[in-house]
Parts: sequence; structure tokens; C-alpha cells
Amino acid sequence: MQKPASRLLWDFFTSLKLTIVCLAALMVLVVANTLAQVSLGTFGAVEVFMRTWLVWWHVPGTSYSVPVFPGGALVGLVLMVNLVAAQLRRLELSWRKAGLWITHAGLILLFVGEFVTGMFQVETQLAIEEGQTLNYVEAPRDLELAVVDHTDPARDEVWSIPASRLLRGGRIQLPGSPVAIVVHRAYRNSALSNRRPGDPPSPATAGVGLGVTVRELPAVSRDDEMNSGAALVEPVAGGHGYGTWLVSNALGAPQSFVHEGHTYELRMRNLRQYLPYSITLKDFRHDVYPGTDIPKNFSSLVRLDNPATGESRDVLIYMNQPLRYQGKAFYQASFGKNDTLSVLQVVQNPGWLLPYISTALVTIGLLVHFAIVLQRSLRRRQASPAAAVEAT
Amino acid sequence: MKTARHAAWIAGALALAAAASPLLPRGTVRGFDLAGFGRLPALEGGRVKPIDSVARNTLLMIRGQQSLPYQGRTLGATEWLLDVLFRPEVADLQNVFRIDDPDVLGMMGMQQTSFRYFSFDHLKPHLAEIQQQAQAAHPVDAKLRSRFQSAVVNLFDRVYLYYRLRNTVQLAGSAGLAAEIPARAAPEAAERQQALIQLAVFRPLLPLAGARADAFRSTGEALVAARAAAPDPALESWARVGLAWSAQDPVPFNAAVGQLTAAAQASRPEAIRQADHEWIFNRAQPFYAGMVIYVLALLALFASWAWKRELLQPVAFGLLVAGAVVHTVGLVSRVVLQGRPPVTNLYSSAVFVGWGAVVLGVILERLYRRGFGTAVATVSGFASLIVAHHLTGDGDTMEMMRAVLDSNFWLATHVVTITIGYAGTFLAGIIAIGWTLRKHLARAVDPTGDKAMGSMVYGVVAFSLFFSFLGTVLGGIWADQSWGRFWGWDPKENGALLIVLWNAIILHARWGGYAQERGIMTMAIFGNVITSLSWFGVNMLGVGLHSYGFMDKAFWALSMFIASQLLLMGLALAPRRFWKGRAAAGTPAGTDRRASETA
Repeated sequence: MQKPASRLLWDFFTSLKLTIVCLAALMVLVVANTLAQVSLGTFGAVEVFMRTWLVWWHVPGTSYSVPVFPGGALVGLVLMVNLVAAQLRRLELSWRKAGLWITHAGLILLFVGEFVTGMFQVETQLAIEEGQTLNYVEAPRDLELAVVDHTDPARDEVWSIPASRLLRGGRIQLPGSPVAIVVHRAYRNSALSNRRPGDPPSPATAGVGLGVTVRELPAVSRDDEMNSGAALVEPVAGGHGYGTWLVSNALGAPQSFVHEGHTYELRMRNLRQYLPYSITLKDFRHDVYPGTDIPKNFSSLVRLDNPATGESRDVLIYMNQPLRYQGKAFYQASFGKNDTLSVLQVVQNPGWLLPYISTALVTIGLLVHFAIVLQRSLRRRQASPAAAVEAT
Repeated sequence: MKTARHAAWIAGALALAAAASPLLPRGTVRGFDLAGFGRLPALEGGRVKPIDSVARNTLLMIRGQQSLPYQGRTLGATEWLLDVLFRPEVADLQNVFRIDDPDVLGMMGMQQTSFRYFSFDHLKPHLAEIQQQAQAAHPVDAKLRSRFQSAVVNLFDRVYLYYRLRNTVQLAGSAGLAAEIPARAAPEAAERQQALIQLAVFRPLLPLAGARADAFRSTGEALVAARAAAPDPALESWARVGLAWSAQDPVPFNAAVGQLTAAAQASRPEAIRQADHEWIFNRAQPFYAGMVIYVLALLALFASWAWKRELLQPVAFGLLVAGAVVHTVGLVSRVVLQGRPPVTNLYSSAVFVGWGAVVLGVILERLYRRGFGTAVATVSGFASLIVAHHLTGDGDTMEMMRAVLDSNFWLATHVVTITIGYAGTFLAGIIAIGWTLRKHLARAVDPTGDKAMGSMVYGVVAFSLFFSFLGTVLGGIWADQSWGRFWGWDPKENGALLIVLWNAIILHARWGGYAQERGIMTMAIFGNVITSLSWFGVNMLGVGLHSYGFMDKAFWALSMFIASQLLLMGLALAPRRFWKGRAAAGTPAGTDRRASETA
């Protein structure tokens, strides 16, 4: 007798075999992800294996990629559906199974938390020197082309074009200004070098780009590597082109052009996110154990000023003690410049509490379940004490 | 029955007495109060420890052992250290540098023979070459170095440590500290004082009154401070220790050590108490004693299978408990000495994994009383202490915690629970190995025994799932607290997750009836592979935030272990006709299996 398709689907999604297959697939992904970190870096490996529906394999020598394995997101989703469906179908609602109900609810929440994190978590950095006051955080992996109008001495006007937009090319009008940026070419990663005789003619017609040769490089994702993005852009205003400029985060020198009395600076830099409050680094400490270079303590004493709320207070950020403020958490992450520069990791994750709740649920659930099982087995043991003694 | 119980108590008590015997006072060595010298507090690696520990750890780093044979007798670490400090001309003749690499030997024009240990004098003509080769290899990433490059860097590091040690209290080849004190204000002394400050491996002089407890000073610093003032009396006592040792005169040596001890008692009683505790711990070597007792317990158990089972099995259990007591005392002493939860590095995790497995094994034995618990507990206790022993080569096993790990709360929760998870998963694997070996070796068929082992594995896997899960997510919470990421797919996190997933698979496969007794046992053995990879393997990748335990030598050991586990899995899966107990079974294949599966 043929089962209806819906019944087959229901059987499929509630089967315990599916659970085991998913867990095994997850193990394969975790192993592959871990090994790939040696070459791709943690971030890159997670993108390839975990935060994806399918794992793609690039066929060597062609431009085709074929899916070879379900990705972490797909496996996680199937596992979650399986968990919910099996729960509804198989586990009866009874006190005997209370532990498993709580455990599985906690696990579902854990998966939800990981999805929320994958979708909504934003990681930025605040690299700040002692005495400096900053009101923005920077994305360590994403770049932007900032066009800054310095004309007003009291405040700068900033237009930001994300590097991802530059890569699409075309013409970008800066809102509220006569200037548009025409992108001639953009590089995700590049190597810049001083022009040598024999290099092809520079496509740049203005600025430092005249003396620089750009070579395209494959993009990198390892934690210890940085992309140096570059772009050849032409500011256009009032029907007049201001030449083709080379911009890159690897270039230090400021470049600007003047249009109708306004000085516009062109600068490629880490993508900034401005904050409605400012942070001043008052003191950074890096202590070591005497006679060693083992770090004993890192801490940043910062001043938090928020004009909107009138807050102005000192905060000490140190290991395992972040500052959580307005949905962002600031963690002590790194340091530099002879211990005068402090790097704070800034994380915004609306789902940060979910893992805490799910952990508590799973722990309680497992404890309840194992307590019930133990109680049953002890009762059985008491019922037949002879069996236990006989066994010796 | 009664005799058996008495025998168990007697065996356990004897083992404990033997383990405690090194604590009896041993008197002097050739008239020198070496124990008194070894108990003096010093600061090294950022913490206060007895000089005995400094000597043991540095000798361990240089030679791989805590003592050495010299002129027909065994030289203890403290005595060796005294020679290095005050009689370098003698110490330079002692064979302390172990060199195994044929290329490094070849570089020095030596052939590889059974003679593996070389003295500083042997190496002297080649120091420039060793340094040059090490400097050339240094920029290469540690993971990518060739065997020769690793070996030469390693040799250079040891030679340099030895060189620094020679110049810690007084400069080797100078007239000594006794001559340095009166000349401390001379202009040309400044350079020597700076050298002493730069090179000192440990700081022997107690903090000044009012200074912080870890503000120990090197002799160089004390000389600089005394340029325009009276010298510290402790500096003069150290000078007398040096003079007496180089003259090999015990009477002034013991007197100067007595002065140093009395001064420390008066000014820093807590430092001398701390150093004393550690000195006792060093002398007792509880983990070594525990290892020996576990082996004895295992031997008693083996013997019980052949002879007088009703007597020897309790004896084995008594020994196991004695071993567990010694193991526990060692573990607790480390916790007290360090002021930290039990697991702070790879070494202590091995000690703790073994301890957890032993305690679980003791509980299993009390529950089932079949000797299986004793067997797996002794094997895991012994194996883990052996592993721990091989992880001591980096020197101090109680080093200070890096800032990011410096949180007793998280060390006590995340690290301890995850390590209990390791212990449980290993224990389940070892029970499964026992099951496999029994199938292949034991002639008698014993369905109740199989059933008992099956339920042991089930219980232990469930236990491990709980602890590995809890440990993993607690790690996530710690990560969220310190880096803002609950889960960052860091290799160590992934390793922990693999253990959780695998234990979950085993339990679900059992609940679903997809794996029977044999399948569960095979899977439990594979749990050993996963746990060893997660414990040690991921550290070898050298990526991520947990690369605190990077090591290269262990790679082959790990590979061999995994190969052995895969072989055992093959044995577990071998068809029934390969089993020894088959002929005597007389039951149709499958009955006993079904019987045990109903458990």
C-alpha cells in the first residue's frame, strides 16, 4: 500500500535516523571547518562551511562550483525541524518525559540563537589611543570610500560608500551634494607598489595614484591577514570631471579636490559606524608577572560621554569584564603602539541572551531526565537485590 | 569473605604508607643541608616557589629528567643547580644536554651513538654554529620548521637557559658574589650588575619590607640598590653560600642557609610557608606514587583472573582506592599551592581526566562488583598519569595564568566540567575496549557480564554527554563574557562540540535501536579517537584562541593512539566466529545479544 506523500514527509522529518544523520553531518562539517581554518582562517572557514546552505566545491580548471555537502545552516535547520516534529509526534506529554521536553526546548533555542547571531550580529572594533576621543567604531573586515567635506571648520560632512558598492561599479551620486563618484575599477584586494620604469601606464590621472602601480590579488580571509582594497574613482560635479584618483586603505597620504570652494577629501578606510556617544581612553594598562612576559592583566579606563542622556562616567574595561552599553558590548581585545593603543572589540548581538537561557534549560532538562532514569533503575535494583549480589 | 576484606584494607594501607615514605626526613647529603637550601623561596616564572622547584623544572627542561648521574652517583636537581650557580667549571662537565637529532649531532661533527647526553663543555666549540643555525631557523613558523630546525632551536633554547642560569646569582667566571659586594660602587661594576639583572633566571632575594609579595629581587638589582648604601644582609648570606659551595665546605654552607631561612621566617613567613608546601609536594611526587599503585592494582586484578579471585579482586580494589587517595591528595595539593581550580593547562587536564575516570571507575566497581570498574579505573588512572608525565617537559606545571584565562570562576566551571566530559568519554571507551578484549580472549561466555558492561557504557556515555555539553556551553558563555562571541567556531570549541555530538549520536542510536551492544561498544571506542583529537589534536593546528598547549612531539603519539583505537574498533566489529567464547557458548548466535539489549 502506498503511503500518501504528506505521510512520507512526516515520517521523514520525525525519524530518529534523520537526527543521527544530521548530527553526523554536523560532525563532518565541524571537522572540515576546523581543518580549513589553517588555510582560510576562522572567519573564512565559517563562511564556507557553517554560515551557508550548501558547501560548494570549485571544480579545478573551470569556473564552475558544485554543491558537495549540505552547509551548516541547512543541517541546523533540518535538525531543528526534526527536533520539533519528533517532539510533537513521538514524545508523549508526561512527567516521565519532562526532562527530554525541557532539553529539546533548550536545544531548539540554542539553534535559534545561532541563527539570530549569524544574521544580526555585527562585530566592529574601536582602536583608540590614550587621550583620544572617538565617536565611531570600525568594521575590521569591511572598507568604505569616505568623501569628507572639510569646508565647515566646526563639523565635517561625511559620505560613505561601502567597498561592496564600489565593486558593483557605475556612478554614485552623493545625496545632498553636487558631487557624484564614477567608479572605473575596484579591487577587493590588491598590492600597491611604487611605479618602476616599464610598468604599464597608470590609469590614475590625479593624486598619488600617478606614481603607484596596482596589482590585483585574491581576497584573503585569515584572521591575521588584511585585504588592501583599492579603487580608481573619478569625482564628477557640475559636468566637470576632477580626474581619476586611486584610493586604497593602504595609502596614507590625504587626497582632495576642490569644487566650488568646498574641499572634498577622498579616503578609503575601514567602514565606520558613528555612535551617538563618545569614548575617551584615559589609561591603558598591560601588566606582566614579574620576571616574565606572561600578561597578567589588560585594562582600559575609558570615559563615556553621552550628550543625549547627559551621562558622563568612567568605565574600566578589562578581561572578562566588558562594557555593555546601548546594545553594544565593548571588550578588551588587543593593544599596540607600546601599550598606548587599546583595541576594543565591539559586538552588537540582539540574541546574546538566548544561549544563556538555552543552556540553563538543557542543563535542567538533562538533570531531570537522568534523575528520573536513575530513580527507575534504582527501584528496579531494589526490586531484585539478588541479581546485583549474584553478579559478583 | 572476611579475609578478603582484611586483605583489601591491608593492601591499601601498605600502598599509602609506601607513598608517604618519601616524606620522612632524609638528613644531609655529604654534610650539606641541601633540603634547607631547596626550601628557600625564590621568584621564577612570576610566582613564588622553592629553589627545589626551580632546580627540578630547569633540569627537566634541559635534560628531560629531574636528576642526573655524575661520577658514579645520582645528582639531585638542587645539587646540580648549586654547581651551575657556584661551581660552573664543574657543572660544565656534567652531561645534561640530551641531543637525539642526528643532523644536529652531525652539525657538530658527532656520530649518533648510545651516548645521548652532552655537557656544556662538549658544546662549547660549537656554540657559535648552534646560535647561527637557531637564528636562521627562528623566523620560520614553528609549525613549518624542519626536524633539524626544530631540534636546533630547541637545543639553543636549552643552552641559553643553562647560560642564563650560570649567571643568575653571580657571573660565571667572575670572582663571585663575595667579591662583587665590596666592589658594588665601582664604575666598572655597573656593566656586570646590568648583566646579572638581564640574565637572572630566578630572583632569590625576598621583597623589601613594605613591598608587594611578588617583588622579589635579583642579586643584580640588590647590588645596584646598594651602590650608595649598606648591602642587604641576604645578599651577604648568598655570597657565603656561594663561597662555601665552591669550597665544598658544609659547615659555613649550612650556617648561611640557616641565616637565609631565619631571615625569611622573620620577614616573609607566607613566602616560606608557600615554598615549604611545594617542596613537600615535590618530594612526595604523588602522581608518580599513584602511577605505581595503579600498576600494582592492575597486576593484582590480572592475577585474580587466574588465581584466588575472591581474595585478589578485593585486594586490587583496595589498591585502586589507595591509588585514588594518593592521586586526590596530589590534585588537592596542586589546587592549594596554585590557589586555582584543578585544571589550568594541558598537564593538569591529564591529571584531572585520570582522576575523574578513576573516581567513576570506583563508583562503577561499587555498583557492579565484578572487577570491571577496577580494571578500567586503574588503566585510565595509569595511562593519564603517564600522559601527564610526558607533558611536563615545558618545565613548570604550575605556571601563571595568562590574563585572558585568569578567572577562577570560569576555570572552575567551564574547564572542570569539560574535563570531566573528557574523562567520562574515555572511560566509556576503555570499558568498550575491555568488552572487546574479553570477547577475543575470554573462553567463558558471560551474558550477565556483557549486560553489566553494556549498561556501564550507557550510563557513562549519558554522564559524559551531560558534562561535555555543559562544559561546552559554559565555554561559550565565557567566550561571550570575554570576547563577545558565544560561539566562534574556534578549533577547541569545535573539538568539544564533536564530543557532544558523538555522545548524542551514541545515545540516540541506542534509543532508536539502530546499534546493538556491539555497535554501541564500537562507537564508544571511537569516542576515544574524538576525545583525543579534541583534547590534543586541535592544539596541533596552532590556530585559534586555545593554542596554549601547542606541541609537535606529541603528534606521532597521537597518531599511534588513534591507529590503535581504529584497530580495536576493527576487533570489536570482527564477526562472532573470531570470538574465543564462541565454542563454549552452546547458544545460538544472537540470543545473548538480545538478552543484553533489553537492558
